[in-house]
Amino acid sequence: MAAPRLSGTQCIAMDSNSQSNYKLSKTEKKFLRKQIKARHTLLRHEGIETVSYATQSLVVANGGLGNGVSRNQLLPVLEKYGLVDALLMPPHKPYSFVRYRTAEEAKKAYVTLNGKEIVDDLGQKILLYLNFVEKAQWKELGLQALPPGLMVVEEIISSEDEKMLLESINWTEDIDNQNVQKYLKHRRVKHFGYEFHYENNNVDKDMPLPGGLPGICDSFLEKWLKEGFIKHKPDQLTVNQYEPGHGIPAHIDTHSAFEDEIVSLSLGSEIVMDFKHPDGVTVPVMLPRRSLLVMTGESRYLWMHGITPRKFDTVQASKGLQSGIITSDVGDLTLSKRGMRTSFTFRKVRQTPCNCSYPLVCDSQMKETPPSFPESAREASQLEQDYVHRVYEEIAEHFSSTRHTPWPRVVEFLKSLPCGSLVADVGCGNGKYLGVNKELYMIGCDRSQKLVDICRERCFQALVCDALAVPLCSGSCDACISIAVIHHFSTAERRVAALQELVRLLRPGGQALVYVWAMEQEYNKKKSKYLRENRISQGKEEGTSSDTAMPELLVEQVPNVGSRDSECCVSSVTDLPEGGHKARTVTNAKLPVHTNRTSFPSQDLLVPWHHQGNPGEGKPGHPAGAHDPGPVFHRYYHVFCEGELEATCQTLNSVSILQSYYDQGNWCVILQKV
Amino acid sequence: MKLLTHNLLSSHVRGVGPRGFPLRLQATEVRINPVEFNPDFVARMIPKVEWAALLEAAETVRTLPHARVHLPGEWGGGEWSHRQPRARGGTPGDDLGLCPQLHLVEVPKGPIEGYEHDEKFLRQMHHVLLEVDVLEGTLQCPESGRLFPISRGIPNMLLSDEETET
Repeated sequence: MAAPRLSGTQCIAMDSNSQSNYKLSKTEKKFLRKQIKARHTLLRHEGIETVSYATQSLVVANGGLGNGVSRNQLLPVLEKYGLVDALLMPPHKPYSFVRYRTAEEAKKAYVTLNGKEIVDDLGQKILLYLNFVEKAQWKELGLQALPPGLMVVEEIISSEDEKMLLESINWTEDIDNQNVQKYLKHRRVKHFGYEFHYENNNVDKDMPLPGGLPGICDSFLEKWLKEGFIKHKPDQLTVNQYEPGHGIPAHIDTHSAFEDEIVSLSLGSEIVMDFKHPDGVTVPVMLPRRSLLVMTGESRYLWMHGITPRKFDTVQASKGLQSGIITSDVGDLTLSKRGMRTSFTFRKVRQTPCNCSYPLVCDSQMKETPPSFPESAREASQLEQDYVHRVYEEIAEHFSSTRHTPWPRVVEFLKSLPCGSLVADVGCGNGKYLGVNKELYMIGCDRSQKLVDICRERCFQALVCDALAVPLCSGSCDACISIAVIHHFSTAERRVAALQELVRLLRPGGQALVYVWAMEQEYNKKKSKYLRENRISQGKEEGTSSDTAMPELLVEQVPNVGSRDSECCVSSVTDLPEGGHKARTVTNAKLPVHTNRTSFPSQDLLVPWHHQGNPGEGKPGHPAGAHDPGPVFHRYYHVFCEGELEATCQTLNSVSILQSYYDQGNWCVILQKV
Repeated sequence: MKLLTHNLLSSHVRGVGPRGFPLRLQATEVRINPVEFNPDFVARMIPKVEWAALLEAAETVRTLPHARVHLPGEWGGGEWSHRQPRARGGTPGDDLGLCPQLHLVEVPKGPIEGYEHDEKFLRQMHHVLLEVDVLEGTLQCPESGRLFPISRGIPNMLLSDEETET
């Protein structure tokens, strides 16, 4: 018998509602329309060809990871109709493919499940539409959306006006420009209205530049205001000239410097600008010549934008140089050679602090409520939540990229352990030490889900937990390590508790290695690596400092924090255990913010982390253009004085201290459980 | 999460203490990952294993239906599940829909005499301890009933402040 042709009509008729007359009711007609629409959408947008005869395989429209349906929800539903050989759920797609053992079983599913309601992971009801397919195959046709608040207006000025604007800029005119050129490797800039300072990515609001915006811009700005392309009249203009091969690193324009609306006119050449969301999504957007890019809301405050320094952009062949997102369909891409592009970026200087809805990337809001020294366990826990855990979640990827070289003495400790040792790494971060010795069974624990995800990507055993409550059996570990972790606990009690937890995990005779940041950065007259790096980097040579990812900098600039290997600190004390150290308890003291690569002002403080969106771009030491940092995060630290770690360990039950030493700006101990 | 890791995990819900072991495993998705066999390593693990807990966990995995077990040689992993049809081994009539790759029907009930030199034994233990990777599922505290999720192979054992407050 020939394969039965199952049209929509027949399908419905075979439904359990079995009516002997085949006249379609209104609901049935509606369902049929939707099923056909699903079929067309799948073909047009995804290249999926459905067939009208029964096969083993079905495409399940609306039953995909992309529309909130998980494997756990869908598989049991499908398994009711037969043996499922395979369930393919392509990421980010609103459909899946299921293959049954036999066409009979697939038919059963098709008949019963079509138009059936299931509940997605938000509890919302959705209808599934099934169609037969010959095979599970589709084209990647990137159905991305522009970042919210982003708009590109094409042909906003004429070619004549473009020429005029380009000719109006006098690049060689003033000395100020030459000063600015020192900072920027990849492009030329000129400022009008207010000067933009690259050291702190802000404007000096009290020192407007004489002359304001160039006269010729007035008519354009008025026109754009009238036509509704912009809502506010800008008072600052930065003209950037990019030669092919030039770019600008991904950044968010400083919240406190400028108001919401930022617009950029592209002249001379088109370019592809990349927008990056903190979750990792990157959207490449084509900016044609003579177009106006308007960034507001989320696209201005949360997404980073940047231009990769290169000579060719990958663009969509079929759309030519039209604006919009560059497709990810590999069948429709081509290269476009870059020309000289000049941008006119208009902004309005902000006179009041920023109060956007993105506080974690907002410099105004991060400064507003400076945290103080905690006075209770709950305050301590909250402080750590805000200034340790939340920060590591935000910076995980960037942080991980700067933590790639295991410290030799930690490696030495791990390699000295016998084959088959069970070792816990409490505060394992990106798993730097989990693979150092293959003869050990290491389990990593970290508070940050994102960092544990990175461990998992590297195929290590890791779990998410708090260092004060490690979910491993007492006495189960032959050894433990805790490297650069305990200094994140904000009270002495919690630091002791963290150490006690390590000891609990150890079997009798087991050893623990602990590293914490030292107050003394100059020890034995030798400056730590951290302090030593406070100068012009060696530049283009790679590997000058193992954990460095710094672009070239001038002496006065605040260097990119991410490259730090060890921390430094100095002088005064706030909180010390008894043991003969000078102690002065400070009540209700505000935590000072540290300036990187200098000595620390106190033992309890906040250390900035300058987040860079794309650490993968460019190699370490490779000049990445102007230092345009992204948002700054503050991490809480309690840095240890000489002897403090030892003294703390001596208060623990059943331990003896085997070794105590100083290593590159850290105080270290090796403990043994007796 | 490997079964050896599971063997070391214990609930730390307040007040539970040693009664938080072993965590009851419910797996909904598992992958079999080939791992290089190191007999010396496996032999040293044997004395550290809690057998009852291991057998219980292994049984949970053994009874999973085919579609939930990813075998070596499949495309990637993660959200994809594309099982290539495999010839079903075993005796006729033994079609319980169980994963044929798992030799868990033969998980030893305990260390046998001379296990250090028994390659068959060591290979079985190697497989069950190190090659079974639970991707999705839950771990349940036997005392408090608290559920901890396993997602993408990572157990999340974080407790809320109330659950840990002493």
